[in-house]
Amino acid sequence: MIKQNYLININKTKKPFIIYRSKKGFDLYTNFSKKIILTNKNIKKFINKTTKLKSKKKETNLFIGFFGYEILNNLIGIKLPKQQRLNFPKGIFYKPETKIKLSNNLNYTSTKKNKSIKNFKVNINKKSYKNIFDKFKKKIKSGETYQIKICTKYHNKSKIDPLDFFCRLSKTNLAPEAFLIKDENFSIISCSPENLITKKGDFISTKPIAGTLKKTKKLNKHKALMFFNKNIKENKEHNMIVDMERSDLSKICKPGSVKIVKKKIIEEYKDLFHYVSLVYGKLKKNIKTFDIIKAMMPGGSVIGCPKISTLNLLNSQEKVNRNIYTGSFGYIKFNGDMRFNIIIRAILNYKNYSEISVASGVVIDSNSNHEFNENYIKAKALMDLYK
Amino acid sequence: MIYIIDHKDSFTHNVVHQFSNFGNVECDNFDKINQRKLDQSKVIVFSPGPGSPKDYPMSSNIYKKYKGKKKIIGICLGFQQILYNEKGKIIEQKKIYHGYQSKVRVISNYSLFKKNRIFKVGRYHSLKLKEPFYSKNFEITMRCAISNVAMAIENNKDKIYGFQFHPESFLTENGNLLIKKILSI
Repeated sequence: MIKQNYLININKTKKPFIIYRSKKGFDLYTNFSKKIILTNKNIKKFINKTTKLKSKKKETNLFIGFFGYEILNNLIGIKLPKQQRLNFPKGIFYKPETKIKLSNNLNYTSTKKNKSIKNFKVNINKKSYKNIFDKFKKKIKSGETYQIKICTKYHNKSKIDPLDFFCRLSKTNLAPEAFLIKDENFSIISCSPENLITKKGDFISTKPIAGTLKKTKKLNKHKALMFFNKNIKENKEHNMIVDMERSDLSKICKPGSVKIVKKKIIEEYKDLFHYVSLVYGKLKKNIKTFDIIKAMMPGGSVIGCPKISTLNLLNSQEKVNRNIYTGSFGYIKFNGDMRFNIIIRAILNYKNYSEISVASGVVIDSNSNHEFNENYIKAKALMDLYK
Repeated sequence: MIYIIDHKDSFTHNVVHQFSNFGNVECDNFDKINQRKLDQSKVIVFSPGPGSPKDYPMSSNIYKKYKGKKKIIGICLGFQQILYNEKGKIIEQKKIYHGYQSKVRVISNYSLFKKNRIFKVGRYHSLKLKEPFYSKNFEITMRCAISNVAMAIENNKDKIYGFQFHPESFLTENGNLLIKKILSI
């Protein structure tokens, strides 16, 4: 109860803080002694320096924060064309001095009402979505991409209480990679389900999700598995991601060490089933944190395949900067251990402007109408928080 | 040493790990070829990749230069790269196979693999070889058991081998065996 009050008090004081889902509940990070805003110039130095810092084993010996989509493109040599942008930072990391464990049950209700000035608008309508979709289908036929994920954005003007949003979201969807960042002029609220990197010592794993089913009364875990195993389209999309993640890990792992430890299993969450695999490897000697980030990010399952040519195709069609969407949030410990997710199912609120980005995949047998509506359903779960 | 030429694909490092079972492997992007490594290599491997063989003239030049001098192996796009340089036509196919497991059958008596043997393999290709295809010393040795599309070629005189499918994919059973055999002769 004391801890709960601590959280509520911090929220009142307007001090920046971060909440990240842990195995048993949530971890709260605050009292930031450093804040590093990433640029193309300082990113390499920042990452390499982080793991050179030596100090006693302490729970707060880490940097926690996020890499946006653009900086991750730049890291692998891809430049973005001119896009509409919010001028939101490309990435931010914080050094916390306080870490507090919180339980699963976050109880907090805002005293103020959330103010949404206007309804949400979408940046691509159904018709333009179909145009892009058809262009990409041609690219699939000519072999330039095998799978590609078009991003659509919903936005409005609103003043929100991010902690209130996050607590309500975690009541309906206790996602394994959920997080909240609350800073002075922005907040990020996410119920990401997807872990991109878990690194401990020499071992590294990634856990791609490709395939999601909403729970119904008739559907149990076994039936969800049967659905995915029989659905050729879902299966092919998943296979592609698994081979791509194997290859990304193989860049930095010892030959022969990359293994699929969980192959196409169902994970059950409060109101969803996910079709998931777990791939694991043992790092080569002399691999640096920077090499790992470059090899794995941006996470393939939310981009498409093959990564480089698909990113170029995406960037040529998307007129609005993705900002945080399909970037990665997580931490790098001073000893080199890491945990990063993929930022999806997230709200970015920056200077009282909210945006929710969603994407779904185009493969050869997908349907434009269906995918557009899928996107809307994904966004709606977050837009409902504004009611 | 085995030199793998990467066409910036997201499966290439699976190929690297697979070949590493059988020897020293070096890998560079197709637009950053290291001439010294290329000269030192015993085997050249053309990786999978996006697009079509005509998009990679540098890889075509390497193929022409080293044909008959070194063992050459092509996978997916690499397979098409070989055929394209042997005057084969690479065309779009009606039914597209991405992330698809299917059966291929060994159809030739001259193959390194036993005739009529069936392999389950992973496929990621939009394009295919237009047939009929004839080129001196080349033989189509495997075909899709259902659609009959060309799935492997062998030229045992010049030691040139290619697979339209992906031996390195987790969808391919006995992928290591295929590569081992080709490297051992």
